[in-house]
Amino acid sequence: MAGPLTADTTTAPVRKPGPARHVAVTVLARTGVVLLKRAVLLAVLLALVFVTVELLPGDAATATSERGESAADVERRRELLGLDRPVLERFWDWMSGLPTGDLGTSARGERVTDLLSSAFPNTLLLGGIALLLTAVLSLALGCWAALRPGGRVDRAVSGSATAVLALPEFVVAVALVLVFSLWTGWLPAVTLTDADGSPDSWTMLVLPALALTIPQAGWNTRIVRAALADEARAPHVETAVLDGLPPHRVLSHHVLPGALPTIAAGLATSTGMLLGGAVVVETIFNYPGIGSVLASAVTDRDSPVIAGVTALAGAVITVVLLLADLIRDWMAGGRR
Amino acid sequence: MDLTRRQLLWAGGAISAATLLTGCGGSDDDTAGSAPGATAKPRRGGTLRVGALGRAGAITRDPHGSQANESDYLIISLVYDTLTVPGTKPNTMPRLAARWQPSEDLKTWRFTIAKGAKFHDGSPVTADDVVFSLRRLRGTPSGASRLPGIQAENITADGDDTVVLVSDYANAELPLLLRLTTFVVPKDTADKDIAKAPGTGPFKLDWFRGGNARLVRNDDWYGGDVYLDAIEVKIFESPQAMANALLSGQIDLASNVGAVAARTAKGRGDIQTIRRPNDMAMPIVMRTADGPFADPKVREALRLAVDREAMVEQVLSGYGSVANDILGTGDPAYAKDIPQRGRDLARAKQLLKEARFDTSKTYELLTTEDIAGLAESATLFASQVREAGVKVKVVKQESATFWDKTWLKGDLYTTYWGTNDSVVFFASKTMVSESGTNEAGWQDKAFDTAYEKAIGTADAAERAGLLKEVQRIEHESSGYLLWGMADGIDLAAPAVQGLPTLPGYGRVLLERAWLAR
Repeated sequence: MAGPLTADTTTAPVRKPGPARHVAVTVLARTGVVLLKRAVLLAVLLALVFVTVELLPGDAATATSERGESAADVERRRELLGLDRPVLERFWDWMSGLPTGDLGTSARGERVTDLLSSAFPNTLLLGGIALLLTAVLSLALGCWAALRPGGRVDRAVSGSATAVLALPEFVVAVALVLVFSLWTGWLPAVTLTDADGSPDSWTMLVLPALALTIPQAGWNTRIVRAALADEARAPHVETAVLDGLPPHRVLSHHVLPGALPTIAAGLATSTGMLLGGAVVVETIFNYPGIGSVLASAVTDRDSPVIAGVTALAGAVITVVLLLADLIRDWMAGGRR
Repeated sequence: MDLTRRQLLWAGGAISAATLLTGCGGSDDDTAGSAPGATAKPRRGGTLRVGALGRAGAITRDPHGSQANESDYLIISLVYDTLTVPGTKPNTMPRLAARWQPSEDLKTWRFTIAKGAKFHDGSPVTADDVVFSLRRLRGTPSGASRLPGIQAENITADGDDTVVLVSDYANAELPLLLRLTTFVVPKDTADKDIAKAPGTGPFKLDWFRGGNARLVRNDDWYGGDVYLDAIEVKIFESPQAMANALLSGQIDLASNVGAVAARTAKGRGDIQTIRRPNDMAMPIVMRTADGPFADPKVREALRLAVDREAMVEQVLSGYGSVANDILGTGDPAYAKDIPQRGRDLARAKQLLKEARFDTSKTYELLTTEDIAGLAESATLFASQVREAGVKVKVVKQESATFWDKTWLKGDLYTTYWGTNDSVVFFASKTMVSESGTNEAGWQDKAFDTAYEKAIGTADAAERAGLLKEVQRIEHESSGYLLWGMADGIDLAAPAVQGLPTLPGYGRVLLERAWLAR
């Protein structure tokens, strides 16, 4: 699949926006190239997963064996799991199932797609809510602070953003459980699921989503605030101010559009962090997502499961980054 | 079933009950001892919501598969039946096998299937189903250790209701070894259909999803009344989350939740704490084959240097009992009359001098954080033996690394066993010379002889005497320093009654549980 890559055209500015169709074709072609590059990158990453697991002490056969099994028993387990074959051959086998949606079998004999079928949508739901909340909160707070640079609001927002940014997710999560469920009983302490594999009630999403959002919102508020400050120094903004436009109109029509690419890139980076934070938050709230599946797969040296989670997470992050790129290109095109 | 290595069994506790060395509660004819307050007449009905530990990535649906999750094991145990189950006294009780009879030489055992035993689809259980299931179990990589001494071809049916097992050697404790994993499924169940195979147990599977399940009462169960309408099993990755769920009323029972949670719940009058003594052993292993601890005097010195009461108090928060370096404390045959070792620093120093032990060196004690309290026990041990002049540095290893590099090989490391098995079980698994998992590399002719005599003796009284000799040698010179036993701890809402009080896997016997509301 790793053919010769075409020249990088993604950063070439669009000089003469032609008719709409022409632009659409250009964007599509560029998107295709980006996707191909990301797919190659993901394939390399997945190969790394297999190789790295191989380098760790122990393997899935020892990890899933019971005490009392002899060396011969463990060796048989190794054969049953196919671990006696070279790592690249196993990787190739696993990869060849990928296009058909087959993610292989876990070390304990369950289909990886079964393990991830409800876990992955659950994580997407939680991460999606957290990302949306982060975007809304950071834009609102950042803009509010930027209206009066150096004012009281600005100092308060920037200060608290720095403070929450420094709080690890687990501290926020534990505090939320203590206050909102154990002391007041307002919200459920943990997420429980029924036969359909999704959370029993929407109230179970509130605390985990907040635990993920708070630190990320802090980080993104600072990015928004900085991007707006940079953009405010641009000549066209000064012109708008001199034209006597009201501050909020200057912000929404002249400052914000130019700052958007930076803000989008910040949020895209947050997506990766949210997936990372999900591992911790899911454990504390017993949220049935892929974080816990991944952690346990690493313990079990369970390459197919780790690779399955990586492939799905990689696909999601790729899409988000692509969106951020498109926003940047669109803004860049629109500005010229 | 042996403890799976990655099993998250959380030991721990609160108030000391050093006198409790045998399973408490339960009369002799009672399968599982019941928690206090079980004197009222059981009421029928209701759904019990049970939290159990497990990792979503380690789920297995195969009753004979590689078990890592307590949640999976709980579901499997309620849907399927094993031939025998853990009990208080005796420690092996009938289940799908109503009775058993050994031959004179203790090699051939005949098990008779319980009358009226039926699968959930209505078909009667025959000897062929049992033979198929046992052979399937024997065919897994764990088969040789789960059915020790029994070859697949020596599992046969005799008529419709009798199964004959022929052991390679005399084995008086064979029925005990069938307690944990001999789950019976219909014969010729294909591997791909195993998750849907009907069981014979007190509950039927309504649904299973991502480690959670709903089980409904089997009204036709041959084993007697089942009171609950349904049991809902919820999988929890961390004991902390499970405790929070119980404290906020989202579940009714937190199974094996551990000492930290018990401490949290202590101040609350509306939570029952169920302590199951002798649940978890966390011995320190001193290599006997070679290395700095090969001299029995050095091992004796370390056993005298440890402050057992302080270990139980600090490592287990008091939820446990002092032990005497003999594994199998829950066994009715446990030798309570062997004098308890106490702390004697002067004697320890004397022994180290006699053995010319190099006290200028620092020795590494390897441990993991697999279970609660394990790494803490290593740290406290290191500070205690320093008072006897031995310098120990604790090294924590990641779980898989520990099992790959240190276990069975290290000079000084912590291990753990959470299976509540017998003296014989531990001897056969970890101390007999040829055992595959001889954790300390111990070879002792006198011990081997005493062990073989004990398992080859049919007469109970005579066997008890021989077992005492086994334990005496173990107490004197094995590679184990067993300072204490942790209680298993469950937390439950006040309405939950009839819960098991047995340690180890006895905790899954929920068929007699009921709700007083």
